[in-house]
Amino acid sequence: MSRNDFAGILAEVVEAREGGAGVVVATVIAAPPDGAVSVGAKLLLRRDGSTVGSLSGGPLEAAVVADAGEAFRRHAVETLFYASDGARLTRRGAEAESGAYQVMLEPHEPPATLLIVGGGHIGKALATIGDLCGFSVAVIDDRPEYANKERFPEADRVVCGDFAEALREFPIDDNTYVVTVTRGHKHDEVSLREVVRRGGAAYVGMIGSKRRVGAVLQHLLEDGLDPDAVGRVHTPIGLDIGAETPEEIAVAIMAEVIQVRRGGSGRPMQEVKKARRGVPPAERVEMEEEG
Amino acid sequence: MDEVFESMQRALSDGQAVVLATVAGTRGSTPRRAGARMLLRADGSFCGTIGGGCGEAEVRLEAQDVHRDGRARLVQVDLTNEIDGDDKICGGVMDVFVERIAPPDVRQ
Repeated sequence: MSRNDFAGILAEVVEAREGGAGVVVATVIAAPPDGAVSVGAKLLLRRDGSTVGSLSGGPLEAAVVADAGEAFRRHAVETLFYASDGARLTRRGAEAESGAYQVMLEPHEPPATLLIVGGGHIGKALATIGDLCGFSVAVIDDRPEYANKERFPEADRVVCGDFAEALREFPIDDNTYVVTVTRGHKHDEVSLREVVRRGGAAYVGMIGSKRRVGAVLQHLLEDGLDPDAVGRVHTPIGLDIGAETPEEIAVAIMAEVIQVRRGGSGRPMQEVKKARRGVPPAERVEMEEEG
Repeated sequence: MDEVFESMQRALSDGQAVVLATVAGTRGSTPRRAGARMLLRADGSFCGTIGGGCGEAEVRLEAQDVHRDGRARLVQVDLTNEIDGDDKICGGVMDVFVERIAPPDVRQ
């Protein structure tokens, strides 16, 4: 691979991280000594399936291209193992076989957006936690005293305006996590209607008690919104950790957002260990516990 | 944009090669997960972190070799052997891919 292939890949990576569509870079990080593809070879994959660079165009490359879609979905770096004919191996299988390749898949994309609809106590705590977790934080509220940079110094974007109008304008894609925590159910409903109508968000969650959120969802269905999209709304919002204060509720919400983003089970780690043995090797590498 | 890619771009546009260390995978308990990155310049300076401590120091040494010979390699950092006075308290293994990235060849 030429230096200029690398330069082209790097330029696209930088662009993708700054706000582009997102790309996946596959790098051969281990290869058999006599292999057709050598360590360091890189292939960049765009969302439309086009590529830059090469892993020599053989069966390995075809297999990697086919598996890269998964990396777009998981938003996490992972390493996959292949035999020279492109067959997927487990880590153990690769260690046993001398001719195995190890390929690192790295998604490069702009930071995910946490779109907080409602700038009250929970919104404030969410902005802090979301920023801490590496999200680009955006806040929408219709009250100038809540929707301002002084109240939300950690937010990249603060929009003051009518909820429905602001949400119509705001860019929402599969890297956007929308949390509706306004001061009242009317505002939550108006906001949720707009977000569900637009579709495309990675996550939509709405705060509220079971009874009240049930009524809101019923209204959306009566309005003729897609029942599948309505069914995907996370509400009541958050994981069950017994949260009481606004800050604790923000933690419970953020935990659910991360769970959706990373594909976790939401169960206590002490119960998860056994289940891991049942998951495919590609996912297992990523699920190894953290120190 | 994050520090690592920003410095990489700056170094490359100044015509300087850099070494990039990326955590490709982990087993057991490790300070950072796959995707953590550290950038190492030829003068020994660096930015970003793959978890600090002895594991990172090991990778920094390896990076100097990669700067010299340009050969990309996978370095296995074993944090399982706790030695007295050592800070490898995590107990896992990290696979770190270390590669040299040269500035584009402008003559072409």
